[in-house]
Amino acid sequence: MATHAVSISDAEYEEVRSHRLLGFLLFLISDTIVFSSFIFSYLYDRSASPIWPPLGVERPGLYLAAVNSIVLFGSGVTMHLAMEAWRHADRPRFNNWMIATIVLGLGFLSGQAWEYSHLHDTWWGTVFGASFFTLTGLHGFHVFIGVIFLITVLLQTRRGVYSQTRYFGLTAVTLYWHFVDVIWVALFFLFYVY
Amino acid sequence: MTGAIIMRILAGSGALVVAYFALKALYEEWPKTALEDQVTKIMMGLLTLGCAIVLTVALGFTGRI
Repeated sequence: MATHAVSISDAEYEEVRSHRLLGFLLFLISDTIVFSSFIFSYLYDRSASPIWPPLGVERPGLYLAAVNSIVLFGSGVTMHLAMEAWRHADRPRFNNWMIATIVLGLGFLSGQAWEYSHLHDTWWGTVFGASFFTLTGLHGFHVFIGVIFLITVLLQTRRGVYSQTRYFGLTAVTLYWHFVDVIWVALFFLFYVY
Repeated sequence: MTGAIIMRILAGSGALVVAYFALKALYEEWPKTALEDQVTKIMMGLLTLGCAIVLTVALGFTGRI
């Protein structure tokens, strides 16, 4: 793949890159639609119920989720800093910020796992519980995939797959990670704040 | 000091730090015009909004317990 990347001209690469970028953005838009569908389903259920959460259902822990949110939002910033370090050809800083992003992503997943293991029995079999697990579970799965994506790209950079001017994989993982962050803004607001 | 207060302090201070860096990134990205830069601007703006929400939770203005 690296051999192919360097064998084409800059003009050809730019064309291929713009097509890849458009395709990747369309993927993110389609993923946004998936999340939006579940969110609107949740909002419909919520509006149809006179009391929310339903009687006897305890709300999830607010402050733990707030800390966990900041861990994920912080990883968005470290990802951006990693990208900037790559653009400025600062490899040591790039590696450090990428590792920080991976660690924060794993920290978020650990926090979510802890939250899942300490949830109340009153949630089982309720619309609130189903909505919560569907949306946060889907998001958690995206974060998990994102962490694998980050590790893969970090290993690829060490193998020299990307050059200083040709690094679409890095751009893609950055956009994907920001997307995962932004989806969590909506989910945190819906389940914990609103 | 209870666990809830510690978590509120962590969340609040973390929100301020992350919001600062997100706004700084947004400011630096602002002159750029490539498609991925435009998307990054939107993402950084929404990330700042997320930090603001967490900050209001940490300060006790919003959020249900």
